[in-house]
Amino acid sequence: MEALLASIAKNIFVIFGLLAVGGATAMVASRSAVHSVLAFLFAMLNIAGCFLALGAEFLGMAQILVYAGGIVVLFLFVVMLVEMAKGKETNKAVFTAQAKVAAPVVVAGAFAFLAVFKDTVFGASAAQALTLKPGLAEGLDVARNNAQAVSRGLFADYLLPFEVLSVILLVALVGAVVLAKTERV
Amino acid sequence: MATMNAVLFFSFLLFAIGCAGMLVRRNALVMLMSAELMLNAANLNLIAFARHSGTVTGQAFALLVMGFAAAEVAVGLALVVALYRRKDTVNADDLNLLKG
Repeated sequence: MEALLASIAKNIFVIFGLLAVGGATAMVASRSAVHSVLAFLFAMLNIAGCFLALGAEFLGMAQILVYAGGIVVLFLFVVMLVEMAKGKETNKAVFTAQAKVAAPVVVAGAFAFLAVFKDTVFGASAAQALTLKPGLAEGLDVARNNAQAVSRGLFADYLLPFEVLSVILLVALVGAVVLAKTERV
Repeated sequence: MATMNAVLFFSFLLFAIGCAGMLVRRNALVMLMSAELMLNAANLNLIAFARHSGTVTGQAFALLVMGFAAAEVAVGLALVVALYRRKDTVNADDLNLLKG
């Protein structure tokens, strides 16, 4: 039991990664849009687990809040509006007419990518375990004071991108309202 | 302890699945979800490199990418709803107005 728990703790990133890949595959493959959204939620939660396993606690929690709390609910609302209204299209084809060409192109591209970057992904130079180099983050341990370190990065070093992002979010808010409102005012 | 290889490989797999879903599926909603998946694969890489270098830059940018993803989903879903109102469909194959 102890050995099992120890091995799980050692390979926790790989476990979360495999579950995320499984959820993503189910999302692409499932016929019903609701099942796709649920598989998407599963994949996002496991990616949050990957973030936690990599020592990014704040981002893992933000991932759960943003995706499970916001985006998946939004997707479910739109699925309810769009898909549920007519259930007669369930027996139509899931994939596009171009899928017979597109799927081999993606597989070939993936293998070409792995062939080009095989030294990066599989090479011995990348084989050492990920470790933190203390002292680089201006006195803050990125692993131990994660939220503090991220906030220093956001609000001191990268304040301008952060403010640009807030303007973009405002534009997206107004744009979404304009796009989705009905014609009669 | 996660090795860099494992992180890069899972990120690559997630990106490939998202790319395939974007190209292969007919449903516009699933295409949007595939785009989200690709953004998350990029985030995974950013966090891995942030951890590798011991600095916080990658994590800060991953947070910014998350915000951009939220904006993209809001606009994309509004487009899907507007599309459904006008064309009564969300299938990519039925939207061929630009076809010559």
